[in-house]
Amino acid sequence: MQKKFKRSFDELKNIVKMTETVFDEMGLQPGLRNVVDLATEEIFVNMVTYNTESSEDILIEMLPHALGLEVRLTDYGVERFDPTSVAAVDINAPLDERTPGGLGLYLVMKMVDSIHYEYRNRQSKITFIVDRK
Amino acid sequence: MFEIVLADDGTVVVHGRLDAAQAVKAQAFLDQVKGQCVLDLAKLEYISSAGLGVLLKTHKRLMGTGSGIKLINVSHHIHDIFRYSGFDKLFEIVPAGH
Repeated sequence: MQKKFKRSFDELKNIVKMTETVFDEMGLQPGLRNVVDLATEEIFVNMVTYNTESSEDILIEMLPHALGLEVRLTDYGVERFDPTSVAAVDINAPLDERTPGGLGLYLVMKMVDSIHYEYRNRQSKITFIVDRK
Repeated sequence: MFEIVLADDGTVVVHGRLDAAQAVKAQAFLDQVKGQCVLDLAKLEYISSAGLGVLLKTHKRLMGTGSGIKLINVSHHIHDIFRYSGFDKLFEIVPAGH
């Protein structure tokens, strides 16, 4: 299944509906939902927040994978930004040194089973796989 | 669906999905809280980093006045998010069923 979404946080509810449909159709374990929802939201929100030079919709594809589910988000007309190269968050830092910045992508890296970044023709494509284990 | 309300016993009860679209609403509510805050997360289905940011900002503000946030009835999968984020070291957390 694939759908395009406007560059708005209001689209998150529609992305959740898409994920629900994909899980129903593919018979995936409900226990995987939180990881898929979180990773999809964090990457989508990152694109909306930081790729402000683009007004194009963001494409989300959810595809069956031998190991579980493959999710691909493509952002058009943007600069290169590789989320897999973002510095790790120090989760052991004391409260007064903690900020929310970077936490979303850190969680994505921590929770998905694999992630891949591709940049070509001003298109940023992030693909992650969540294992059905 | 997301709701955040003050219960009769003074506990702040959170329902539904706390994502980036709902973080502003949650922050506006929690900005009004003064003193020790007990957050009942029994009906919280989902939280993303935007929601974690709301909790962190509020906790830091309240800790500055000698209080803070206590998280109660935390489900297993929400607790996993707190653990991955290091929030289990920053907040007092009471898991569901305790």
